[in-house]
Amino acid sequence: MADLIIENLTMRFAGVVALDEVSFSVEKGEIFSLIGPNGSGKTTLFNCINGFNKPQGGKIYFNGENLLDKRPHNIIDSGISRTFQNVQNIPFMTVLDNILLGAHSRIDVKATVQRWLSQDQREIEEAMVLDIMDFLGIANYEQKYMLGQPFGIQKLAEIARALVSKPKLILLDEPAAGMNDQETREIANIIRDIREDLGITVLLVEHDMNLVMSISDRICVLDSGEIITLGEPEEVKTHPKVIEIYLGETADA
Amino acid sequence: MKGRYEDENLYWIPVLIIFVFLLPFILKGLSFSYKYYLFVLNMAGIYIILNVGLDLLSGFTGLLSLGHAAFLAVGAYSSAILVDQFGVPFALSLILSPLVAGLFGFVIGFPALRISGMYLGLTTMGFGFIVKRMIIAFREWTHGSGGLDVSSPVLFGYTIKTDWNNYFLIYTFVVIAVVAGRRIAKSKIGRAFMAIRDSEQAAEAAGINLAKYKMLAFFISGLFAGFAGVLFAHTSSFISTDHFDILLSIYFIIMILVGGVSSIYGAVLGTLFIVLLDNLFVPLLKDQIHFWFNTQAGDIQSLIFGLIMFLFIIFQPMGLYGMWLKMRIYWKLFPFNPRQRFT
Amino acid sequence: MKRVVGTLIIIGLLAVGCVKRAPAPGVTDTEVLIGNVQDLSGPLKELGAIIPSGSNMYFQYINDQGGVHGRSIKMLIEDHQYNPQKAVAATKKLVEKDQVFCLFQILGTSPCEAIRPILSETGTPLIAPATNSGTMSDLSREAGDLIFHTDTGYDRQGEILVDYILNQNSDAKIGIVYQDDDYGENVLVGIARAEEEHEITVQKESYQRGAIDFKGQTMNLLKGGCTDVIIAGIVREPVTVMKTAEAMNYKPNFFGTGPTVDARVGKLAGSAGEGFTATYWANMWNSDAPGPILYRELCEKYDIPEPYIGLYHYYGFATAQLLVEGLERAGRNPTRKSLVRGLETFKNWDVGSFPPITYNRNDHAGVDKVQLVQMQNGEQVVITDWLE
Repeated sequence: MADLIIENLTMRFAGVVALDEVSFSVEKGEIFSLIGPNGSGKTTLFNCINGFNKPQGGKIYFNGENLLDKRPHNIIDSGISRTFQNVQNIPFMTVLDNILLGAHSRIDVKATVQRWLSQDQREIEEAMVLDIMDFLGIANYEQKYMLGQPFGIQKLAEIARALVSKPKLILLDEPAAGMNDQETREIANIIRDIREDLGITVLLVEHDMNLVMSISDRICVLDSGEIITLGEPEEVKTHPKVIEIYLGETADA
Repeated sequence: MKGRYEDENLYWIPVLIIFVFLLPFILKGLSFSYKYYLFVLNMAGIYIILNVGLDLLSGFTGLLSLGHAAFLAVGAYSSAILVDQFGVPFALSLILSPLVAGLFGFVIGFPALRISGMYLGLTTMGFGFIVKRMIIAFREWTHGSGGLDVSSPVLFGYTIKTDWNNYFLIYTFVVIAVVAGRRIAKSKIGRAFMAIRDSEQAAEAAGINLAKYKMLAFFISGLFAGFAGVLFAHTSSFISTDHFDILLSIYFIIMILVGGVSSIYGAVLGTLFIVLLDNLFVPLLKDQIHFWFNTQAGDIQSLIFGLIMFLFIIFQPMGLYGMWLKMRIYWKLFPFNPRQRFT
Repeated sequence: MKRVVGTLIIIGLLAVGCVKRAPAPGVTDTEVLIGNVQDLSGPLKELGAIIPSGSNMYFQYINDQGGVHGRSIKMLIEDHQYNPQKAVAATKKLVEKDQVFCLFQILGTSPCEAIRPILSETGTPLIAPATNSGTMSDLSREAGDLIFHTDTGYDRQGEILVDYILNQNSDAKIGIVYQDDDYGENVLVGIARAEEEHEITVQKESYQRGAIDFKGQTMNLLKGGCTDVIIAGIVREPVTVMKTAEAMNYKPNFFGTGPTVDARVGKLAGSAGEGFTATYWANMWNSDAPGPILYRELCEKYDIPEPYIGLYHYYGFATAQLLVEGLERAGRNPTRKSLVRGLETFKNWDVGSFPPITYNRNDHAGVDKVQLVQMQNGEQVVITDWLE
């Protein structure tokens, strides 16, 4: 059963067409990648799913719910969380608190009052996070301020923040950007684990072709807001347009 | 799991609270002019309550308010009118008047949904003028700009009148306000506030309703300020529009800046620092200068104050709380790597 | 046994404490300490420097002659920046820390109102608060019995002005431009009394403190056909109103209350200020009454710089005379109570600075009349006798 269905999505910014009648669907438990050159509309698509951008046409369904009716802060309640291309963490909060931010909708406001009376609620909150931190291997950083942490840790903390809300679908916007080979391999493993261990569907935007090819079940190639091809990595790899975009003239040679 | 958070090591807080309530006795033992010191501390206490709220709004949520003296005025005048003209008991007014100020905060919150930064600062400053005009306009209740006499607080049948008694009244509420502010700051509400300040997108993606939480920040901040206003009105026994000058709002911002933005303890430290500096240290230093140089030059006071502030901002931009954190980390790491700082 | 001894020691100490009567605070064998809170760095900072300097000149003169009952007078000045809360803090410092004998000349209505609880709690008298507000002499208010006011209240000034205008011209249509704060509020009280007495209506136009544009108010007065306009402002406001009116070719008779008697008003307004008439509650500093003559002698003797000399400096001098007389009458071993009693023996006390002043248990108002001072050819000229 399809988990996320996108139908004829069209988004224009002051005349520039960012998405043009884009349609595809993501199956439950899939790792689905979006690739394409800069400005091809990948992040815009994320923003549409996330409610930051309101598309002029088309529909987005998730588990039968129309996401376009929802306001951005309600998307997470539908089971979709995301990370950002340029990491968006809160520098003057500890890593632990940054991740807890993702659990916002899982924590009752009453907890604020309860915590005046006991530390228990704090423990409940921490328990929510620590599993995830262990899972991502950043448990040592919990008490450190986000400010000044290495970029890799910040990226992982952001993923942790997205995971802590227990989503059904996670949108990862270039998780490997700015990382070295070693870190990229770790990210690849983490993305696999997210799907395998946590059973979360992954929608991935990424430039690193090795990463994308190695972990994706299916890949969708966007260019100038249009889908060029959509299929399994092997098919996509051999598509002439993709070769042109990614390998340039070397394909002809 | 207790104490995973080093900030949550609470063992020294009871000690501090006991010290707060022993302080008047210590002062009385040390100095015959203890009443003057208590008065200054009382003033600081009231401002601490307000600044905890202001820090939640301007420090944590990043919504600059240059009109907080007006919230103080709303709380003060509401309570004065409720208690003295409608016969509401002081204890009830302690709940009602902050709510009035909170509602004002709620209303001022609306523009904050659209504007931010300095523009919001100017809007809230405008709010300060509006409140002043309102006080003058509703002269039947407020006596216009002539000022209003306010009765002393009556709690459980006791009338609280002297600086000594006021101290215990005010500092009981200071402790409550600081604990409450700290709880809010460390809860999901506080995290939401900081997220809104640093990244609205991340906040929304995490499920935070921006409009709701911005309004909430203004409401909570109004509550704290209104609460401070009630204590202000009844312990100073006379209020007028001159009390709630625009300069006072700017003072409040300076206090939380000096303390270190987005830290409740910072707001407390900053308030104590500025109030004690301005009302205790500088006047006494001025007396010494008069004595040494045998002059009577009066405006020296503002000069000293300005100079100290100037040096402070240059050498300690992180504020007092930042200074404390640095110091703590320094000692923790001593003697290893003393260069490591706030990371 | 120990406990009994302890108790006895405590009782003994208490007894000693009671027997040895402590001298009044601020009074030593050689000195009387008095406290003053002025605006030294706020909106009225010029006055804050000048007024106490006039007082200090007179204290110097008295101290040079051996002081009051052999004690020299020393005045401590604190700054309140025209903020009532700061005024309270500064007054607390003076009373609790510096232990002044009495308070003197504190500037501004709201600061004086705000410190009432300190006065009543400690029994400290406040002599000659530097505000004309009529509320200062209201004995029913808190600490009213400890405040000795000198100046004619703003309310009285307004009332007298309306009387005077109607005496000159019974058909006059009167308008008023007032500052919408405690000052204007108090003037309006007097205007309301006059309205009732003469059965007239005064056209009222308000402005916010610090306003710089008076076109609207002036236009309204012009439209209302006012022939006589009272300006309850300070210095800049009457100047701007008169200049605006001149530009509109609108020429009513202008009057002013309280601080507008400042000579700068006429100077700054130039031709527009010609004929401007202000109320004043003391003798003019450059007149030939005995007070002003002594004042000018002292200015010369103590080399007072030129810019200081004038109305406000003289006001500081004149109120200092009142305080010194009060201390004189408080007796050889003054207490705060004896100072109040001493001041309450004033009966038509007149050294030629103020009009005769009478204080008693039921009256702490001091002067309650004014003379009118008019700008004529750029000089301030007294045009009336004392008006009541």
